[in-house]
Amino acid sequence: MTTTTTTTKDLNVAVIVKLEPDFSEGNVSYNADGTLNRAETKSILGPHSAIASSAAFYAKVKYGARVAVGTMGPPIAESALQQAQLLCDADELHLYSDRIFAGADTLATAEVLGAGISKVEGGKVDIVFSGHRASDGETGQTGPQTAWKLGYTFLGNVVDYSVDLQNRLLRARRLISLQGFYDIIEEVEAPLPVFISIDPSYKAFFNTVSQRLALEKYQKEAKLRAENYKQFLKVLNTQQLGIDPKLVGLPGSPTIVYKVERIPKAKASRKAEVVDGTNRDQIAKVVSNMYEVLGGMVIK
Amino acid sequence: MTSKYQHLYVVIEHDDGVPVPVSLEMLGEARRLMDGFNKKYSSDEKVVAVVLGHNVHKLCEELIYYGADYVIYADSPELRSRRNIIDTKVISQIARNRELAAKFSNASEFVKPRYMFFGADSIGRHLSSTVLAELESGLASDINKLVVEDLELKHEHKTKGQAIKYEKTLEMYRPDFSGFLWTTILCLDNRNPANEREYHPQACSIIPGVFAPIERDSSRRGEIVDYIPKFDEHDLRVRVLDRKIVKSAVDFDSHKAIVSFGKGVKDSPEQNIKLVAELAKEIEAEVGISLPISKKPFSVSEGTNSTYMIPDRVIGTSGRKVAPLLYIAAGISGAMQHIAGMKESGFIVAINPDENSPIKDECDIFIKGRMEDVIPILVEELRKQRPAIEVKKK
Amino acid sequence: MEHYDVAIIGGGSAGLAALKQLSDMNKQAILIEAGRKTGSKNISGGILYSKKPKHGKSYNVEDVYPEFLQDLPVERKITQYMLHATYLDKVFTMNLTAAHEYQANFGYSVLLNRLNGWFAKQASESAERQGGGIVSGVHVRSLSWQDEKTVVETDEIEPFEAKAVIAADGVNSEIAEMTGAREKFTPEQLYQGVKVIVKLPEEIIEERFGIGPDEGAAHLFAGDVTLHHIGGGFLYTNLDTLSVGAVYHYDSLMNRPSEPYTLVNALLKNPLVAEFIKDQVAIKEEIDKNLPKEEQLRTRFAVSKLIKTWNDLRDSYHSRAAKKRLIESGKYKSEEEIKARLDSVQNDLATKYDTKFVTDYVELEYGAKLVPDGKRCAMKKPYYKNILFIGDAAGRGVFVGPRIEGLNVGIDDAVRAANAVARAIDKQNFSTQYMGEFYSQSIEESPYTRDMKEIDKDYLKIFLDAARDVPKDIIGQRYGMVFKLMSSGTLRGLAVGFANILGYDKLLPLVESEETYVQVPIELAEKKGRQVQATYEPTIPTIAQRIARLKYDDDRISHIKVLNPKSEFMRKMVTLCPTLCYSMEGGGDVTLQHEACIECGTCSQETDWHHPRGEKGVIYQYG
Repeated sequence: MTTTTTTTKDLNVAVIVKLEPDFSEGNVSYNADGTLNRAETKSILGPHSAIASSAAFYAKVKYGARVAVGTMGPPIAESALQQAQLLCDADELHLYSDRIFAGADTLATAEVLGAGISKVEGGKVDIVFSGHRASDGETGQTGPQTAWKLGYTFLGNVVDYSVDLQNRLLRARRLISLQGFYDIIEEVEAPLPVFISIDPSYKAFFNTVSQRLALEKYQKEAKLRAENYKQFLKVLNTQQLGIDPKLVGLPGSPTIVYKVERIPKAKASRKAEVVDGTNRDQIAKVVSNMYEVLGGMVIK
Repeated sequence: MTSKYQHLYVVIEHDDGVPVPVSLEMLGEARRLMDGFNKKYSSDEKVVAVVLGHNVHKLCEELIYYGADYVIYADSPELRSRRNIIDTKVISQIARNRELAAKFSNASEFVKPRYMFFGADSIGRHLSSTVLAELESGLASDINKLVVEDLELKHEHKTKGQAIKYEKTLEMYRPDFSGFLWTTILCLDNRNPANEREYHPQACSIIPGVFAPIERDSSRRGEIVDYIPKFDEHDLRVRVLDRKIVKSAVDFDSHKAIVSFGKGVKDSPEQNIKLVAELAKEIEAEVGISLPISKKPFSVSEGTNSTYMIPDRVIGTSGRKVAPLLYIAAGISGAMQHIAGMKESGFIVAINPDENSPIKDECDIFIKGRMEDVIPILVEELRKQRPAIEVKKK
Repeated sequence: MEHYDVAIIGGGSAGLAALKQLSDMNKQAILIEAGRKTGSKNISGGILYSKKPKHGKSYNVEDVYPEFLQDLPVERKITQYMLHATYLDKVFTMNLTAAHEYQANFGYSVLLNRLNGWFAKQASESAERQGGGIVSGVHVRSLSWQDEKTVVETDEIEPFEAKAVIAADGVNSEIAEMTGAREKFTPEQLYQGVKVIVKLPEEIIEERFGIGPDEGAAHLFAGDVTLHHIGGGFLYTNLDTLSVGAVYHYDSLMNRPSEPYTLVNALLKNPLVAEFIKDQVAIKEEIDKNLPKEEQLRTRFAVSKLIKTWNDLRDSYHSRAAKKRLIESGKYKSEEEIKARLDSVQNDLATKYDTKFVTDYVELEYGAKLVPDGKRCAMKKPYYKNILFIGDAAGRGVFVGPRIEGLNVGIDDAVRAANAVARAIDKQNFSTQYMGEFYSQSIEESPYTRDMKEIDKDYLKIFLDAARDVPKDIIGQRYGMVFKLMSSGTLRGLAVGFANILGYDKLLPLVESEETYVQVPIELAEKKGRQVQATYEPTIPTIAQRIARLKYDDDRISHIKVLNPKSEFMRKMVTLCPTLCYSMEGGGDVTLQHEACIECGTCSQETDWHHPRGEKGVIYQYG
């Protein structure tokens, strides 16, 4: 007979996600001044949050992990939790919601998320997953700051991982980009608990028959659960999270957005010759320029 | 309050003693910023480089030539490769250390640095986040412009609606991903009586390739201050098992020409990208993309997606900097970030139907038209004129 | 390595039936499918039959799936079966409904994406209870043996072991090829089938074909529509679409290559067919280029949206279920109200945007596959070591005159194979003597195997009765003596008996000839046919447009390698590949561009042929 996936919760994981505007072409809407028209743009589970959810799902399929998903936001953020549950067959959903959370920068958000993760059932969370960054905001700071507040080991840019359940160790490969310099693939090992910020290139891969069968099973379960996501949902406010109101929302934010403006056009550094794109002769001339530049001389 | 927070600490990134380019760029900007600061406020605050490593004394000397007044150097074999936990701990210790600050200023009231810089790459972005979480202050990431100002502000929370003057505030400008908007972030004390709190350092991570280092000046004088880092076993819990440098599959440097495309493909992305690929093939060019394309805003086939809409192909400050002999920008409007990545190119041709695009000021030839109309003609002409080249080669 | 009792390779109707059957017998079985989900690579003519043979037993779909008759994941129950002989605009029609009902419980028109999706749901639920299930997106690369267990290696996952294997991977079976269990089928043993799915609203289908809501029609065509190839065309009514296609002897196509899309187009252009498929279509007019750019954009967007509304509303109006839903939802109070709204939208489009409403037909999907002719290529011993071959993989397609059956044969084979494997599991004996031979015996007893070896005289009688109206001088001239013989009851019995002794295959060239499929029907139509007037000229999409409408997940590497780029066979592939993947280069070499491949296998004879890797390749929406 086959090996069945372990159902004992040897591993307890959590994902933090965000509801973001849908920036894909055809769905996003901009104002005349170039700023995002939030009212006209639909909100979806952020793409990096989705990748983080699939990374958590890998833990469930391969290790039988218990999965919780949390987000900080107003009531509509529930839909991010529902979409995430569809991706990772979550066993528990958390919405951290309170009017005083409004205006939070990353530090104040990390305060809330850190407190929320400690409230996950089933024992201490062994691995927390977050996306690389949000598609709005895009600071990429919330993950590491939440990790720091929890005291978890932070590993960023993870492209794949595996867990040694016996020894409570995590092994991961990270893609470190020293922008414009070169890239490094690093293999690291750290004891649980760990906070992973998942690299955008991460793709969950299930490479045995039993994992694939488990994958099918959990995907079917996820569909059913997501349809009744409210049954898995807990909404927590400041008091329930046990946090100091002075450290959350606007009051708890060191940074503020001061202004948003159009970047002024830089001074022209080259003088362009304008060519009519429908004029074949002019384009022919451009082509001969190109060939000259590339090091050949055009012999007519 | 002013002597509680002094100096600009720059966290240097290096690989075994070789500085990552952004480190020297940050120092350059730090130097310019603090020279202006000291002049404006008649003060004498320092640019202090912070280096963690092992046997990299030489690097510290170089940093002085590149603008640092002082270098705080923590040497330990455990600091040889970058590990977030221990790096965060040590940098935070250094930031809070009054004794160190006393080595270069009157530090009797010193609490933390006034400003801090980090590089905005894989390591720096995360490191800056955890350091600022530890130091409990504000961080703005991916910055490409900095200004020190005295600002008079009225903020519902920070000032309880009152107009209050914040002196020596660092305005941190970050471009949004389209490249056309600047969001200015400030890290400000809470001067609201209900919730008074000081937030320093004002910190940011800086986009590589934006600022220029100062000219190396070996006549510059400065001092290296050694620091003995304090950490325990638990801080060393991450083991690095293997590290290898990877070459990107996309090799811009070995190509004489590059053809890039941007959101101008949107009318029929699959077809237009095919056209771009055809054009690139014709002149043996590599294909690049603008940053928004790497966010996969269009629905295209899996093959096209995984070949072209990947971060490895991004040209710009968030990606690669290139300088080929010939650069063709198709359907790219010319956001600042992208221009910064290709403006050193030899000959630049832009294809765009909108004459008001910023790229017009950054190219040598502006072909006014849609790429679906222009590229086929270009390709035809390239083929027509090609045999002449072959003849020459013989 | 992981171990499983049974691995079924291929998630078509046969493979899924095997999985269901084994699981229902409490055996653990896994099914490996290369497509991203079962059904994504399947295509059928297609009609699914359930049989009640006079001799022997047929395992039918409702035997394997008890919920089948309740859920009915099918299109329409075929109640009319007509054969048309064609010549230009003349048609001679014969009612062959008796032939269709012969020994049949029912025949339903089907679309495999839907049908196999349903089979998969039932089979996987049963399989999961036994610790098995369906694994999709995995392509089997090789099989080897270790201690009598089969080691299965794939492109995507780690190798695993199986005690028994059921090969259900279709007419181009890679399992057959990689194990050497049988030779690749040659053109004489195959038919190439090509079809298109045509959109036609539900009630319009019923009105046009003279059928009720629970009924369906099957129309067959022979004569000049075949462009002189041996075989015929077909048109089946689905719920709100039509399956229109043609099936031709592959070697007839080899003798005189015609592009598959040309063959299906010949059928579409026939006046009778054209009249069958026609519908009302909205044509967008060119937008005035003098308007400001924004205005043009807004108009274009508005017209598209309105046309979509018109189409959706029209489809709903002509669908019983959809109309009911609309009224129940409260959006509309009555059918009349829906019609009124539809008319008003149409009026808006015509007056505000100059939209034209014309008669034309709407094509949804193009596809092709090879079909094995069981009479010529059914595997005598459909097993190899511990691998049992079922359905098309074993070459077991039934082709008798107009009767083409594959789906039900595959299901019957699947049950027999499942039984053989279950028995082997109980005794833990997977040897060829205990398992393979048992299965082979069972197959011999299948009524379908009989049909592949002998002429059924009662079936023949039906044809003769149907051909009652056919003038003797047309038939008689050619078959003279033979026909006289067949017309007499007693003599017919003797003659058929004699023929069966002689051997089916000796008679085949006589029966399956250009005469039978082309010349006789042409003469029939010309001399005795009625005239059919087409009221419009169908706008037929180009092959490029048809390919563009298909969905693919391209694997950047080519899954097929050309072995001999200069051979005669490969040159013919330039014409015979249904999606024009082959072309002639300058130096006389045939080259392949794999992106548009629909994996039909037409070129498999002289290529290193494989399906693409897991999840990659064509993805049919209808099938």
